[in-house]
Amino acid sequence: MNKEEIIQKVNAALMKEFEIPEEKLVPTATFADLQVDSLDVVDMVITFEQTFKIDIRNNYKPGSFTNLGGLYDFIEKLIKEKNK
Amino acid sequence: MVDYHRVVITGAGAVTPYGAGVDTLVENLLNNVSAIQFIPELKETPFINSHVACKVPEIDFTFIPRQYRRYMTKMSLYAVMACQEALKTANIEKPSDDTALYIGSTMSSISSWLEFTKKYFDKELNMVKTMAVFQVLNHSPLANVAQALDMKGSGYFVSNACASSLTNIGLAYQMIKAGFVKRALCGGTEEYHPIFTGCFSILNAASTNFNDNPQKASRPFDKDRCGIVCSEGCAMLYIESLESALERKANIIAEIKGFATNTETKNIAHPSRDSMQQCIQMALNDAKLKTTDIDLVNAHATSTIAGDIEEVSAISNVFGKDIIVNSLKGHIGHSMAACGSIELISIMKMMLKNKVAGTLNLDNIDEQCNVVNHIRNTQDIKFDNFVKNSFALGGTNASMVIGRYN
Repeated sequence: MNKEEIIQKVNAALMKEFEIPEEKLVPTATFADLQVDSLDVVDMVITFEQTFKIDIRNNYKPGSFTNLGGLYDFIEKLIKEKNK
Repeated sequence: MVDYHRVVITGAGAVTPYGAGVDTLVENLLNNVSAIQFIPELKETPFINSHVACKVPEIDFTFIPRQYRRYMTKMSLYAVMACQEALKTANIEKPSDDTALYIGSTMSSISSWLEFTKKYFDKELNMVKTMAVFQVLNHSPLANVAQALDMKGSGYFVSNACASSLTNIGLAYQMIKAGFVKRALCGGTEEYHPIFTGCFSILNAASTNFNDNPQKASRPFDKDRCGIVCSEGCAMLYIESLESALERKANIIAEIKGFATNTETKNIAHPSRDSMQQCIQMALNDAKLKTTDIDLVNAHATSTIAGDIEEVSAISNVFGKDIIVNSLKGHIGHSMAACGSIELISIMKMMLKNKVAGTLNLDNIDEQCNVVNHIRNTQDIKFDNFVKNSFALGGTNASMVIGRYN
């Protein structure tokens, strides 16, 4: 899966499940910008774990990502490690 | 002498198998429209021999902000919508901080619980999303309505099976009457799942003989009745002390004059006429009204063989054979926890129109039910006081007296 596909799938989930408007989905957007709270973040993690078949919870460390662009990178990194 | 308060109804809202709104509900009832339909999923489920039910049509609930909607299953969505209509008709822009909330359902969302437990049995509990936790709470509709409408007052979630909404209204009435609460939103809500029909199928109490003719399937008091048709929806009342209503110059729709509830202990599944009769009489006593003051009884009458006979016998024992009786379950089936408030609101609105819907599909009155004055078609009848009954599995009986406000 290339980066473009990852971004597309992440954004699709954020729009459908979390009803975030497409125009807000820019790499520099923080979770505060996206107006999601701590419960949403927990559910997003589950959604992305299911979508990409990766383990985010046991790999996340504080600062792993701080904005949407960082989330794309983090997911890409976990997919690459899984496929090693 | 305790200084009791009179309790009046100043707002009403409903989401029913006819769609959203009280006016839609009453119009369809008066026009004898059946909302019962064939449910393919029931036919496809082994051992469920009833294939009919009533479901609320698709409604766009995105008017409820996602921050609240995400925790809601259908029963909460219906409840928020019904509460908003009740507040609007009561001319309340925002509930005051002392507005109480009384609401109940028979069970929490079955579909959400099934998804939740499937993950448990599949050893995937880590894949359950946080929203699901709030969706399966027993009092999820109470919590969700309070959050969505920013209601900070006392909240009670009374779950008394099919008497839930009437007992919630009754409790709210008693609290206002006694002076503990000044105003409240109260009622019941339910979301249909085929397991409801399955439960009544297990009890041999689901309608089975009209699977090919769904609109005939629910037929209270009729000699060919064969069981319950399950339904869903929500209805909520805005009620307040008379002083509160007068102070804010509210439009008073009707008055709650009396209420009673008791418990059947002879049999958990079959309420007896004695117990029902006692409940109705207690409600009349609470209202300080005579049997001759009551013009009509809107029966619980779910279209079961035994239940209809017991209830109509109880009504006849209290009021005599001339009392006008109807049941609305021929039209909209049995909406479980919501039936009491949906039917109460319907008859209350009909009282203001001087019209009453008859019992749909009552083609041939069962001899054993022919002990009161059944109405079978919509009629022009002026009436001032009526009794609403709800008699639930498990033995909870509830009766309420509603009258015009004078």
